[in-house]
Amino acid sequence: MTATEMGLSRPRRATRFVPGTGEEEQLFARHQQGDRVAREELVRRFMPLARSLARRYDRSSEPFEDLLQVASLGLLKALDRFDPALGHPFASFAVPTILGEMRRHFRDAGWSVHVPRGSQERALKVRDAQERLANVRGRAPTVQELAEYLELPQDEIIDALQAIQAYESLSLDAPRPGATDEATSYGDAMGQEDERYELVELDATVSAVLGRIPQRERQILRMRFVDDLTQTEIAERVGISQMQVSRLLRRSLDQLRALTDTKS
Amino acid sequence: MAGAPNVCLALSNQPENVLLVRETLSGMADTVGVDGVDLNDIRTAVTEACNNVVLHAYEGDEGPLQVELYLAPATVEVVVRDHGVGIRPHIRSEEEEALGIGLSIIQALAPRVEFKDVEGGGTEVRMEFSTPGTDSVPEVPANGFQAPVVPPSALSSTTGLAVAPSALAERVLPRVMCVLAARARFTTDRISDAELLADALVSRGFESSAHEHMTVSVEVGRREVALRLGPLGDGGAGRLIADSDAGIGQVVARLTDERRIDSDGRYETLELTMRDAR
Repeated sequence: MTATEMGLSRPRRATRFVPGTGEEEQLFARHQQGDRVAREELVRRFMPLARSLARRYDRSSEPFEDLLQVASLGLLKALDRFDPALGHPFASFAVPTILGEMRRHFRDAGWSVHVPRGSQERALKVRDAQERLANVRGRAPTVQELAEYLELPQDEIIDALQAIQAYESLSLDAPRPGATDEATSYGDAMGQEDERYELVELDATVSAVLGRIPQRERQILRMRFVDDLTQTEIAERVGISQMQVSRLLRRSLDQLRALTDTKS
Repeated sequence: MAGAPNVCLALSNQPENVLLVRETLSGMADTVGVDGVDLNDIRTAVTEACNNVVLHAYEGDEGPLQVELYLAPATVEVVVRDHGVGIRPHIRSEEEEALGIGLSIIQALAPRVEFKDVEGGGTEVRMEFSTPGTDSVPEVPANGFQAPVVPPSALSSTTGLAVAPSALAERVLPRVMCVLAARARFTTDRISDAELLADALVSRGFESSAHEHMTVSVEVGRREVALRLGPLGDGGAGRLIADSDAGIGQVVARLTDERRIDSDGRYETLELTMRDAR
């Protein structure tokens, strides 16, 4: 069964576009004859449709104004190409045309290959806020607190937390915000103490494969799973952000698993 | 598409669950390498279908929202299902236009769309997307698949998820845990722990599972998340929390506050509770 058979894709406006009836039908007729006033009036009437479509992509970390501009361009194209004589409602023609325009925009903006820049910037903002709030409160913030602090929806904070996990650009050598002196990068802050740590508390297999994991990761694993420090406490001691600790722990566990898999 | 779904989500139609669906789609895209523009289309179309269930399926009441994902070579199929009154009877004049746009969006973004009535009441929207150039995942045999079941009384606080194969679970379960831990008002510290726990469970959970899928239900409370993993085979739960070959038991023990094994004589369930004491 198709949507049309179920009566689904026939919005109320549809009736207004049946040829021969309605004000908009006349506007379309005038527009086709090159009447610019009619065209402007049609743009005005259908701008809410373009706006509504742009809003649906709003969470995609592009500024809304940019998306609205692209959607408006799509609306203009739809108005110019629409043939009322075919008897279809304008919206059913305009929606795919506008979405096609937005799709082209995302493609041109490099969405296919990269994490878009807007989303990277947001992830960095969330990471910085997370550190700042942790310093103020002495504990890591919640998503709700981050959302309030940054005036962003919680969904976007969660998207950003996921993005942080994925970024190499936030990796070890990235300078830490608020870091003041010599021990600013992760590599510098680590290392000397490592040899003092023993791995005997972890079970035998893990200890055996741990030797093949870089020492800084090993140290963080130990702090979390042997010394039972929180990620925030580890972050403070090591001089990196809690999100970086999280990334390193997840990567280490992944490596551990790969190593034990090949062993067994 | 034949066979068992790769992901099956049992949710309530609360608006915040749309995010859970979107994160699941992102996890799927990470796994098989869906192009960012294509993912954007899939997320937008599926969001429309879910929002329809959120806003219209139960006329203001709460009810189930089921989402299934099927991965095939160069194709992703998503099914969004409700057991409500169906779309048609309850279209109101002022809602009609918004709904019309939603359906136009789905039709514009999904090359194939099918609407079906669900037996016993409800609507199913089946959307097929083409995802050229993606990797494929090993096929999951359909035999023995059981969709996760969440009793109606627990629906508002509990999320059911079945996922296979493990390559997909690795990307999906941590994202789902992140969303749910955030909902429980965990700090980012404990949210990261919840993701770590998901990593650890996925790395060994499939060996212990009684079926091809890894099945979990997650109950969100106040600063508390209770994850139930199962059905697991005999001794499967113990293998995950005792010192096991990969030290996963130690990881699980550190990350959780309570661990309990339930058995119905045939299958086991591992219940893990995480809290955020602050």
